[in-house]
Amino acid sequence: MDADSDVALDILITNVVCVFRTRCHLNLRKIALEGANVIYKRDVGKVLMKLRKPRITATIWSSGKIICTGATSEEEAKFGARRLARSLQKLGFQVIFTDFKVVNVLAVCNMPFEIRLPEFTKNNRPHASYEPELHPAVCYRIKSLRATLQIFSTGSITVTEMKPFLHHWNLGWPWDLC
Amino acid sequence: MTGRVCRGCGGTDIELDAARGDAVCTGCGSVLEDNIIVSEVQFVENSGGGSSAVGQFVSLDGAGKTPTLGGGFHVNLGKESRAQTLQNGRRQIHHLGNQLQLNQHCLDTAFNFFKMAVSKHLTRGRKMAHVIAACLYLVCRTEGTPHMLLDLSDLLQVNVYVLGKTFLLLARELCINAPAIDPCLYIPRFAHLLEFGEKNHEVSMTALRLLQRMKRDWMHTGRRPSGLCGAALLVAARMHDFRRTVKEVISVVKVCESTLRKRLTEFEDTPTSQLTVDEFMKIDLEEECDPPSYTAGQRKLRMKELEQVLSKQLEEVEGEISSYQDAIEIELENSRPKAKGALASLTKDGSVEDTASSLFGEEDVEDEELEAAASHLNKDFYRELLGSGNPGSSEAGGSPEAGSRPPALESLLGPLPTAASLGISDSIRECISSQSRDPKDASGDGELDLSGIDDLEIDRYILNEAEARVKAELWMRENAEYLREQREKEARIAKEKELGIYKEHKPKKSCKRREPIQASTAGEAIEKMLEQKKISSKINYSVLRDLNSKGGGLQREDVRPEDRASARKLSRRKTPASRSGADPVASVGKRLRPMVSTQPAKKVAVGEALLPSSPLAGAEPARPAVVVVESGPVSYHPEEEPEEEDPDEEDGEPCVSALQMMGGNDYGCDGDDDDGY
Repeated sequence: MDADSDVALDILITNVVCVFRTRCHLNLRKIALEGANVIYKRDVGKVLMKLRKPRITATIWSSGKIICTGATSEEEAKFGARRLARSLQKLGFQVIFTDFKVVNVLAVCNMPFEIRLPEFTKNNRPHASYEPELHPAVCYRIKSLRATLQIFSTGSITVTEMKPFLHHWNLGWPWDLC
Repeated sequence: MTGRVCRGCGGTDIELDAARGDAVCTGCGSVLEDNIIVSEVQFVENSGGGSSAVGQFVSLDGAGKTPTLGGGFHVNLGKESRAQTLQNGRRQIHHLGNQLQLNQHCLDTAFNFFKMAVSKHLTRGRKMAHVIAACLYLVCRTEGTPHMLLDLSDLLQVNVYVLGKTFLLLARELCINAPAIDPCLYIPRFAHLLEFGEKNHEVSMTALRLLQRMKRDWMHTGRRPSGLCGAALLVAARMHDFRRTVKEVISVVKVCESTLRKRLTEFEDTPTSQLTVDEFMKIDLEEECDPPSYTAGQRKLRMKELEQVLSKQLEEVEGEISSYQDAIEIELENSRPKAKGALASLTKDGSVEDTASSLFGEEDVEDEELEAAASHLNKDFYRELLGSGNPGSSEAGGSPEAGSRPPALESLLGPLPTAASLGISDSIRECISSQSRDPKDASGDGELDLSGIDDLEIDRYILNEAEARVKAELWMRENAEYLREQREKEARIAKEKELGIYKEHKPKKSCKRREPIQASTAGEAIEKMLEQKKISSKINYSVLRDLNSKGGGLQREDVRPEDRASARKLSRRKTPASRSGADPVASVGKRLRPMVSTQPAKKVAVGEALLPSSPLAGAEPARPAVVVVESGPVSYHPEEEPEEEDPDEEDGEPCVSALQMMGGNDYGCDGDDDDGY
């Protein structure tokens, strides 16, 4: 596995996005007035609540759907989500913690070499797409894992995916690099 | 040639005359067939004496005008939807393609792409213009024409990234691999625009060499090709003693000034820039450079390393400070409100009951070590978590484990331990997930798993009374404007409800009623109208502006009859307009309004008709191209338009404007009525 090779590839998870439902209607005004770290965006109809411990920003909608972003791992995301639900409970809402789902995981990785993007695109035709006019990186999609990689010419790679669980660790790097 | 046998004589020699449509036996002369359907080209004599072929051209794709057999009776009006879409698309492709000066072959290919897209239902939910533009750009890429996506977006006035998205989708769905853009393709085009005169070719060649050099120096990956082109051309121009300022190059190449400067500085960093002009032409340096962002990244890495070394030294100092901070923190904790008894005990119980905690019995030892590490590194996170005594839950166990990662990274122990710790945490996480899945399912019906949640911490998130009031004040003040608008809106709705005319969804269309234009000259009136109104594509504004006016302004009443006119049947192109013949141009300007708003189909005709007629002083009977019946003085139809005409009549117009004449006669239909009455 490449992770064990001498060139240790440090891949960092920088963001985990998850959603969960509280199955009860939330009074945003009350949360906004009594919560300590909240921003009430009334024109859009949501409340942003920021937790300090797992550093998480949660978007709370009045329907009870909550989106949590900013966690650095899945457990942390779950932990933060539960804390959030607990604090809502304390505010007096009948919160039920259901439908927790990790929606997106963003990771960053750095290659110690640079990459020639046009040749790379040519060799990885169906998966890779490169539009220099629009974006400086090659967009490489792996359908089986539902992952999208953005490969920059400096060698840094951003991985986003929808499937929770860090299968991208096991990505065989299918590259012909020049 | 029918190999038949004659009925009469049995002979097989049958002559078939295609022109007459007969089949005759040459033996006995009996006619075997008559009125055979033939496919001959027939010629007809036309008025000039020449002859022309009889027939119609039928277009290749889809039906043309359905031929009316038996005349006049249009069966199956409107072709089927797919054919209409394709025809519409074809028309738009040609329209756009001609603006881009694409040849016919490209346009046909684009149309093929479009057909494929339609058959794959890619046009659904997308603006047709975007799909057309994407097809055209795809053709440009495959053919290698020097057209940029930016050009297309300029033509359509659409955001280039939106177009790019559509284009990428199209390319993916149609499985067409568009070859990558080579900046060399753009050079001839930009060089031509920069007008180098005779030395155009030489400058282009130089620029090409520069570009190749840039490619080898890794400047071109990930960059907009137009930016590179601009830089290359600028340098090439200077090398051949042409003065081209940055501004000129920018306007041609369409990149930002800072981008261009950046490219130039990057090129400056390469060793090639040190060569003189002649040397550059002759020699090609062997070595290659790293991409500029890579060197920038390396510089950053070096800075980071320096910082790390510094911070390590700082840590020792911090260690002393942290011990003071520990003491302070402990004091603070003691003064914090305790959690309510029942809940606190619940949390503690919950964590103990958690099955996964047994797995992490050994984690306690690690926790102590971590405590030491954490306090040394001065992280509240761990101290509170561990200090408040929740050692055992799976998540808490997981988080010191996961937490070991951030401090490991941050303490800059290097990448290797990271990989190792990641490897371990991988397997542990799998164990966690398999175990935590069970409790999760149990709580799937909605109960909140309180393990690991520190109530004290959460209590701090809730403000008390006084704080809540202050915050409410602040928020109100911040969002006062928005709240006021909301209140007004509600008041308005309530009032309308009372009056009973409250509509659920007020349409967002802006009101068509406009202020009448008060202007002293026709030119001014036209300008004001143009400002107010949406620009029509069928009116030749430059001609309008050149028209000489006869003075006289537009008056109020025009608005009223105009709106009423628009409500009437299409055939009435009324706008009684004009006061007087005095102002044909102003009325022309005004006339445009009703025309554009009511009869889009007739715009062209009327536009054309107006323009030739407007120069007339107005008294002559104009011959508008469209109107069939022309009369001299306008015949008023009092019973048809009483309200509109009466105020006009009172003005006592001696001469009749072209407008009135056109307005007075509705395609001759009313004229007929006129005669009858």
